[in-house]
Amino acid sequence: MAAYVARRFAYALLILAVITVLVFVVVRLIPGDPIRAAMQQNVDLSDRRIIEETRARFGLDQPIPAQFAIWLRDVVAGDWGRSLQTGEPVREMFHRRLPVTLELFVGATVWAWAIGIPLGVLGALRRNSALDVSLTAVAIGGVSIPAFWEGIVLIYLLAVVTQVLPPSGFVPFTEDPWLNFKSILMPTFVIGTHSAGFLARYVRSSLLEVFGEDYVRTARAKGLGEPVVVSKHAARPAVIPVVTVIGLAWGQFMAGSFIVEYVFALPGLGRMGVDAIFAKDFPVIQVTLMATAVNVLLANLVVDVAYGLLDPRVRVR
Amino acid sequence: MRPGGDARGGLRSLARALVGHRLGVSGLIVVAGVTLIAVFAPLLAPYDPYKQSLYRVLQPPSAAHWLGTDNVGRDLLSRVIYGARVSLLVGFTATLVSAVAGVLIGLVAGYLGGAVDNLVMRITDAFMCFPYLVFVLALAAALGPGLTNIIIAFCVLGWTGFARLVRAQVLLVRELPYVEAARAAGLSDLRVMFRHVLPNTLAPVIVAASITFGLAILTESGTAFLGLGVEPPTASWGKELRVGYTYLERVPLFSLAPGVMITLTVLAFNFVGDGLRDALDPRLRGDRLR
Repeated sequence: MAAYVARRFAYALLILAVITVLVFVVVRLIPGDPIRAAMQQNVDLSDRRIIEETRARFGLDQPIPAQFAIWLRDVVAGDWGRSLQTGEPVREMFHRRLPVTLELFVGATVWAWAIGIPLGVLGALRRNSALDVSLTAVAIGGVSIPAFWEGIVLIYLLAVVTQVLPPSGFVPFTEDPWLNFKSILMPTFVIGTHSAGFLARYVRSSLLEVFGEDYVRTARAKGLGEPVVVSKHAARPAVIPVVTVIGLAWGQFMAGSFIVEYVFALPGLGRMGVDAIFAKDFPVIQVTLMATAVNVLLANLVVDVAYGLLDPRVRVR
Repeated sequence: MRPGGDARGGLRSLARALVGHRLGVSGLIVVAGVTLIAVFAPLLAPYDPYKQSLYRVLQPPSAAHWLGTDNVGRDLLSRVIYGARVSLLVGFTATLVSAVAGVLIGLVAGYLGGAVDNLVMRITDAFMCFPYLVFVLALAAALGPGLTNIIIAFCVLGWTGFARLVRAQVLLVRELPYVEAARAAGLSDLRVMFRHVLPNTLAPVIVAASITFGLAILTESGTAFLGLGVEPPTASWGKELRVGYTYLERVPLFSLAPGVMITLTVLAFNFVGDGLRDALDPRLRGDRLR
C-alpha cells in the first residue's frame, strides 16, 4: 500500500510540473502592458523611468524563461508576488479568501450527498419505472442547469419574492454563525446540485451493477429482506465508484465557485479569480489557476488512495 | 465487405437503439427545435433584435412584446430567438474542432504507443486538472474578446477528453486479429490506422460529442455571463442574463427567459448523450429505459 501511495504521489508531482508550465504560458499570453494598466490611475505615464523601474521591480524586464525561473523560485520560497491592482501580497489575499471558498466546497459536498445518494438509490430500486425515468431526468437536469441561472432563480424565489434568505453577501462564521449559515445556503446548493446530478447517476448504475452479482442473488435467495440486502450486501461495493464522483466533483467545485461567488457577491477565491482575469492582474491569475489545478490534483490523489484502500485489486496495477 | 461498412452499420443500430429511449428521443426533438429556431430566426423573430427604442424600455410582457423588452427597448423574444444562433454556433464549432483534434491525437498516441503515448497522456492529465469555465475564462481573457477566442479556448481544453477516449479504444482494437491481419497484409500504418482502427473507435466519440456540445454551450454562456464572449449588440443567452440579472426585481423575465433556453438546450444534448450511452452499453442492452 505504501508503495502504491508513493507511486501516485510521485505521479501527481510530475503532473504538477506540467501544470506549472501550462499556467505560466497561459498567463504570459495575456496581452497589454500590465504595468501601464496598473499604474494608469496614479502615475504620470510620460515618465518612462518610473515605468522601467517598476517593471524591473516586478521582474518583468527579464526574458520569459528567466521570468519563469524567478517566479518558480519565489513561489517555492513562499513569495507569490503582489497584486498589480492593490499591491497586496497575493499570498495574504489567498489566505484571507480561502476559508470562504472552502466553506462553500464543504457545504456543496453536503448538498451533493444529501440529494444525489437518495435519488440514485431510489432510481436503482425502482429500475426502469416511470419514477426512475423522472429521477434520471432530474439528475441530468442538475448537471445541465447553468449555475448562474440557478442562482438567479433561487435569489428571485427566496430573496425577492419570499424574502426568507439574504439575496447575496457573506457573513463570516466567527461573526454570526446563524447569518453565516443563511448566507451560504443558496450558493452551496447551487454548486451541490450540479454534483448531485452526477452522483445520482453513478450511485444508480453502480448499485444496478452490484445487484447483478452472484452474492446479492445468494443473499436474496436465502430469504433476507430487501433493506438488509441493499444496506449490508450491495451498499459497500457500490461505495467505491461514489468515492470517485465525490473526488471529481470536489475538483470541479472551483468552476462553480467562480460563478457562484460572482452571483452571490461572496469574497472567496472564485471572485478573486474573476476580478483578476478582467483586470489582467496576472500574479493573482497565476495563483488562482494554480490553486484550481492543485485542488483537482489533490482530489484525484485522495480518490486514488481511497480506491487503493477500498479495493485491494487496484494497488497492484 | 469494405472495412468502413461495419462502423456505419454500428452507427445505424445505435440510432435504432436510441429511438427506443424516451429521454433520448425527447432530447433529439428539443435539439431539432432549437436548431430550427436558430436557422429560421429572421422569420420567427417578431422584431429586429437590434432595434432600440427609448420609449419602451424594460416593459413587462404584453401582446406586442410577449416576453417584454430589455433595458434599451429591444424585444426580448426576438433577442432570445437570435441567441440560439450563438449557442449552437459555439456548441457545434467547439465540439467539431475538439473532436477532430482529439480523435486524431488519441488515434496516433494509442496506435504508436511508447513515448508518444506517454507524453500525450501526461499532457492530457495536466489539462484535465482545469475545469472548463476557469480555463476558458483565463485563456479567452488572454486571447482577447470575441466569440472566436472563446471557441479556441474551449478547444485547447476540449480535445483532451476525446483523445483519452479514442486512445483507450485504440488500445483494445489494436490487438484484434483483423488489425493484425491488415498489418500482415502489408498495409501502411496510416492506412491501418484510418481505415481499420479509426472506424471502430467512433461510437463512444458520438456520445462524448453530444455531452461536449452541451458543455460548450454552458461554458460560453458562463463566460458571457461573467462578461466575456460575444461583442455587444449580438444577442447571446449568457449576455442577456448578465444584463437581465441587474433588473431581476423589476423584469424577472429578462434573466429568466434566456436561462430557460440555455437549460433546455443543454438538457436536450445531455439527454441525447445519455440515450446514446445506454444504447451503446452492452450490459444495459435489451432492458433500456423505455
